[in-house]
Amino acid sequence: MAVSRRGFLHLAAPPSSSAVLLAARGLEAHLAEAQRSGGARTLVPPGVDEIRISSNENPLGPGKVVLDAIVGKFPEAGRYPFNSTPNEAALTTAIASKFKVKPENIVLGAGSQELLKNAVRAFTNPSRGLVTAAPSFENCPGTARKLGHPVAEVPVDGALRIDLDPMIAAAKGAGLVFFNNPNNPTATVLGAKAVADFVSRVRKLSPDTVILIDEAYHDYVTDPSYQTAVPLALDTPNVFVTRTLSKAYGMAGMRIGYAIGRAETMKPLATLKMPYNVSVFGIVAAITALGDPKHIEAERARNTEVRAFTIKALNDLGCRSSESQANFLFTDIRRPAKEFREACAKQGVMVGRDFPPFEKTHVRISIGTIEEMRKATAVFRSVLRTETSPPVDKKPGAQHEEAAWR
Amino acid sequence: MALTRRGFVRTAGIGVSGVLTSSWIGARGREHSVWSAFEPTLSAVEPGQIVLASNENPLGPGRTVMAAVQAAFGEGGRRPGRYSGSSRELIEAIAAKQKVKPENVVLGCGSTQILRSATHLFTAKDKPLVGTMPTYEECAGYAEMMGHPVRPVALDAEFKLDLNRLADAAKGAGLVFYCNPNNPTATYVGARATREFLAQVARESPETTILIDEAYFDYVTDADHDTHIPVAVDNPRVIVARTFSKAYGMAGLRMGYAVGHPETIKKMAEWDGGSGTSSLNVLALHAGIAAIQQDASYTAAERARNKEVRDFTMKWFGDRGMKPTDAQANFLFVNIGRPAKEFRDACRAKGVLVARDFPPFEKTHCRLSFGTMEEMKKAVAVFDHVLGRKSTAAA
Repeated sequence: MAVSRRGFLHLAAPPSSSAVLLAARGLEAHLAEAQRSGGARTLVPPGVDEIRISSNENPLGPGKVVLDAIVGKFPEAGRYPFNSTPNEAALTTAIASKFKVKPENIVLGAGSQELLKNAVRAFTNPSRGLVTAAPSFENCPGTARKLGHPVAEVPVDGALRIDLDPMIAAAKGAGLVFFNNPNNPTATVLGAKAVADFVSRVRKLSPDTVILIDEAYHDYVTDPSYQTAVPLALDTPNVFVTRTLSKAYGMAGMRIGYAIGRAETMKPLATLKMPYNVSVFGIVAAITALGDPKHIEAERARNTEVRAFTIKALNDLGCRSSESQANFLFTDIRRPAKEFREACAKQGVMVGRDFPPFEKTHVRISIGTIEEMRKATAVFRSVLRTETSPPVDKKPGAQHEEAAWR
Repeated sequence: MALTRRGFVRTAGIGVSGVLTSSWIGARGREHSVWSAFEPTLSAVEPGQIVLASNENPLGPGRTVMAAVQAAFGEGGRRPGRYSGSSRELIEAIAAKQKVKPENVVLGCGSTQILRSATHLFTAKDKPLVGTMPTYEECAGYAEMMGHPVRPVALDAEFKLDLNRLADAAKGAGLVFYCNPNNPTATYVGARATREFLAQVARESPETTILIDEAYFDYVTDADHDTHIPVAVDNPRVIVARTFSKAYGMAGLRMGYAVGHPETIKKMAEWDGGSGTSSLNVLALHAGIAAIQQDASYTAAERARNKEVRDFTMKWFGDRGMKPTDAQANFLFVNIGRPAKEFRDACRAKGVLVARDFPPFEKTHCRLSFGTMEEMKKAVAVFDHVLGRKSTAAA
């Protein structure tokens, strides 16, 4: 090897000034980037420190143990992920062991986004469309629209939870149901009983419909009524769960996700999987992190504490949040998200994108570190006290919201 | 079960299994596969083995790039927790290096994503994929998965792309996969002949797109060597694919790109373009920026190192009456007069890993990649031992 591990440990830490400017991220930035239409990004003014609470990331990153494991594999940077040690198969096996299932029950993704995209490609068609809550994570409906497959959007209920009865009705004859639990951006969760009941009713009404339960924020849930749907998926045809290492595991930049379900349900996703989609460093990082569950428990505790602080600070400003079970809040700020977002950005605080039909009233705020949230809530205080436009009364979603806040 | 490239094509066939109601995948079964380069799932590399199976750079990316990977951890090691915003910066660095504009470049998770996007966009049930037999299997595997027809074209007697046959097959085709140097045969078609071929296809079949895979570009030593990027930026029907997995030594990081006309690049980006929030990891993005900004002496040194090892290995086989093809890459394709599998298994038993089968030459030829000189000296001792023994199943 030209470069030994030892050689790397001796490298001086690079000056942080060489860091690339990280502009506002999220799906809109991704689309802007993909389409080369860049210009519309909100930017923090020069010289202002950025607090990025816009993309539901873990502000601490993956932690030292994982980073050390990556450095340990620097000598294998030139090896394909099937030739590295550990290799891709070892990651699949590690995930399978965590759930006590077989490797054929697992499919790896370049983030869970690849799996969501491929689920739409595999399970919907021009006559059997997608069903999703609205608002929810936009990847699946975005992919379906690109393919020209129909999309049924079912508004969330008054408490901003996925509204089960109309979702079930819409699922009849559908190709795929996208069920995000906790739901991004509304942060609400449905309990294990409600999810099992939902699955059973959809199965009865429409047995060929595939149900994708996206548990990206699983590790942040504290509601005792919640349980993972993985056992349900393993017992039930046409149901699978996606997970990601982008959230509590602090590896959004590493692009690692996985799907878990019955082998016959996984097969189309395995077929569509892009070969070598997880890097050599992603493999070792994920295996290391999966072996350290205490780290995730600590991250959940940290997030729970900062989440409570932030909910209270916003409540004190008269802004109510939905019942958050994730690492972000969906908060009624009684004014357009865009206006709030731009005002916060001027003071270095980046918050979430628009989520129609709530873009005139609600903003999504990710949970940073406690230091970041102390600064951010001070910025919110100054922005929310400056009334830039009259509060909006009649707007989409108002009815839901009234029901919710009573 | 490792879902390897081979596994990927092997699992196709769900379209006929009746499980799915989808019309998106029109897969045919494996028995219909043309490029049936399947083999048992690749097994894990054991410590101490010499890996000559996957056309990797045995030295990896080098210090400059690895320093950039470590820098990509960011302050407090927090940056891997963030979706990366640096794909634009890499696109600009590539554009500067290749003397094109950012709108001429799209990134992929390795060139794999590029090859898949092009196959998706430019083949259809009535627009076949054209590729040589053998060549790199990604496009054919994807076309087969989609149920799009593939037209295999034989190589010439020197195992080079046969341009007359390719031009004939290109008529009415959706996409021609033009891998140059060709993997696995290692042969190279000169720049002038390629330019003439591009012009001929443009005349005879103007709706056909040609994807030129220049994965091994930096290893070519042929006097008539040049990139076809200048043609691609002007012609919406020509795309050049590049990868950081070969001379740049970054196979483990997953980064590749395509250069082409803005319209073509836009189509590819909109269909499945790589970015820091989709398929591209932050370490690879930063590694790519550092790699492409290196002085040209980096690739020149790697080319020279590879050539020395290549000359040594070619001579070793030549001296024993086994003449490899004219290798212009970091691997060779040689007639060993016995099935590749037999040779491969015997070499593996002695700690040397060589490549998979490449039909229709799997009964006679083997592809082997160049390691370091030290590795090749050990490897040829193993080859000597294995090839010196009488084949048990000579063809």
